[in-house]
Amino acid sequence: MKIKTIRRSVQIAVFLGMFIVPVLNILEIYFIKGTFYSIDIGSIAMADPLAILQAVVASKMFTYSMFASLVIPVLLVLIFGRIWCSFMCPYYLVTEMIDSIKKKLKIKTKKTEYSDHLTVKTNMFRLGFLLFGLFVMGISGIPLLNLISAPGVISSQALVLVKFGYVTFEMAFIITLIVLEFFYYKFWCRYFCPTGSFLSLIGLKRLLKVEKVNENCSMCLSCIKTCPMAINPMKDGSSVACNNCGDCVDICPDNKKTPTLKFKI
Amino acid sequence: MNLKERLQKTLSENPFKGFFKKNRLRPPGARGEKQFMELCIRCARCIEVCPYDSIKRADLFEKLQIGTPYIFPEDRACYLCMKCPEVCPTGALDNKLFEPEKVNIGKAVISQEDCLNFIYFKEEETGKITGKAMICSTCYNVCPFTDEAIVMEKYILPVITEKCVGCGICVEKCPVKTTDGKAVNVVPTGMGNEKDAGYYYRRSKILKSDPQKYKDILKGDKLIEKKQNISTFGEKKQFKYDFEINTSIEGWEMNED
Ligand code: SF4
Ligand code: SF4
Ligand code: SF4
Ligand code: SF4
Ligand code: SF4
Repeated sequence: MKIKTIRRSVQIAVFLGMFIVPVLNILEIYFIKGTFYSIDIGSIAMADPLAILQAVVASKMFTYSMFASLVIPVLLVLIFGRIWCSFMCPYYLVTEMIDSIKKKLKIKTKKTEYSDHLTVKTNMFRLGFLLFGLFVMGISGIPLLNLISAPGVISSQALVLVKFGYVTFEMAFIITLIVLEFFYYKFWCRYFCPTGSFLSLIGLKRLLKVEKVNENCSMCLSCIKTCPMAINPMKDGSSVACNNCGDCVDICPDNKKTPTLKFKI
Repeated sequence: MNLKERLQKTLSENPFKGFFKKNRLRPPGARGEKQFMELCIRCARCIEVCPYDSIKRADLFEKLQIGTPYIFPEDRACYLCMKCPEVCPTGALDNKLFEPEKVNIGKAVISQEDCLNFIYFKEEETGKITGKAMICSTCYNVCPFTDEAIVMEKYILPVITEKCVGCGICVEKCPVKTTDGKAVNVVPTGMGNEKDAGYYYRRSKILKSDPQKYKDILKGDKLIEKKQNISTFGEKKQFKYDFEINTSIEGWEMNED
């Protein structure tokens, strides 16, 4: 089975979940409660590590429940890398939808060409933006970056929409991103998103990565062309930019004959 | 406002850490506004869990507080079900708060000019009939802590006591709308009542401004000296009481010295 099939099913389930969970909560079924800033499933608490980091820095407090909500997300990232982004984040699904719309309408935007420097540059830029964001957040003294956490904003707006039937001004941010997305391919996820950058920092040394296991591949370069993060899966598999989406593994034609480009622990 | 004051205001007040408004409350268990703003990650879980839709997500009107939870009691008050403090992931709402009577998100203040009961009482007293008078007592009847948070003075005048938790139910139900709110409003904790603010400061300014008039008011060391000189012996000061006092206590000998 293609990785993409699994990925799309999880993504859609999570996306629908954003709307179903508030309905359940209105019916006072509190099994799952929360948004993508922080969510409880049963009595397992999970939270966006960056949101918790900001709250800790701003308030100089670190409580047991904050710590408890970090355990599962951090473990997930340490093992599987940034699968939050590729398998669950609602914004990522939106960008992929935009991409397919663009293909249908035959709108061509030039996807950034892969080059050796680009990966390094992109990573520097992302981490730089994260640091800058944390700096501004430090000055303001409140968890300010949550206002530009795309998954968090989308899920909390979904909640407000379901519960009250309106959305608040924060939605303007998402709409802006979506409009820009038509012109700049996945620019938010590749260059800016602080949530994603922080996750990739945690996943710097992750277990699961893409690796070229067969030295004699046919060098068709289709993996490079397909990579949404514009890196070279054949050698950058362990880069912080990779979000383990598996698109390259899916597309590699040589995999049909011998294992060539594979996920490896 | 002169330049210095304006500079002081803009530089020393952190606009990110919140500002207060009447009839705009944080959910129960909220920490002090400053700490609340540091801890709240705007996750909306308190909003999600509230069965009465009391908590709203702050919109653009709340400026930099956008995304944080607020209760607007004129619209919908908090019914003290205590579901929200528990779910807060960062402790911006005190997770261990379960008792409604320990909530302290504000204090209700009744405006005596607008309250129907007060108007009724005044008209009874003065005999001037305006036609507005009515006995309402709604706030007294709806308050979850009737006879504790709101007591009736003279059987008709509603008075808020220290036990008020600030839930705002009285505000939601009060029938009198005024230009700024209702006849009863909740002042959020931390805001202070503007009418009482700076009382001691203003008083000391008055004393300083007219030293001649207040020259026999003692201050500082002199006041302490005077107080130390007060003796429990000797001639007792005469006070006037408008009630009967016992001159002796049964079983005790009066100490004549
Ligand atoms: S980088 Fe940010 S917006 Fe993009 S998929 Fe990851 S969390 Fe979502
Ligand atoms: S105590 Fe209950 S009614 Fe009040 S704000 Fe919290 S959840 Fe809503
Ligand atoms: S649950 Fe806590 S952190 Fe989340 S929005 Fe409410 S007060 Fe803020
Ligand atoms: S509900 Fe309003 S008008 Fe009625 S008694 Fe209370 S404060 Fe007065
Ligand atoms: S007086 Fe009663 S109803 Fe009004 S805010 Fe206080 S506790 Fe709530």
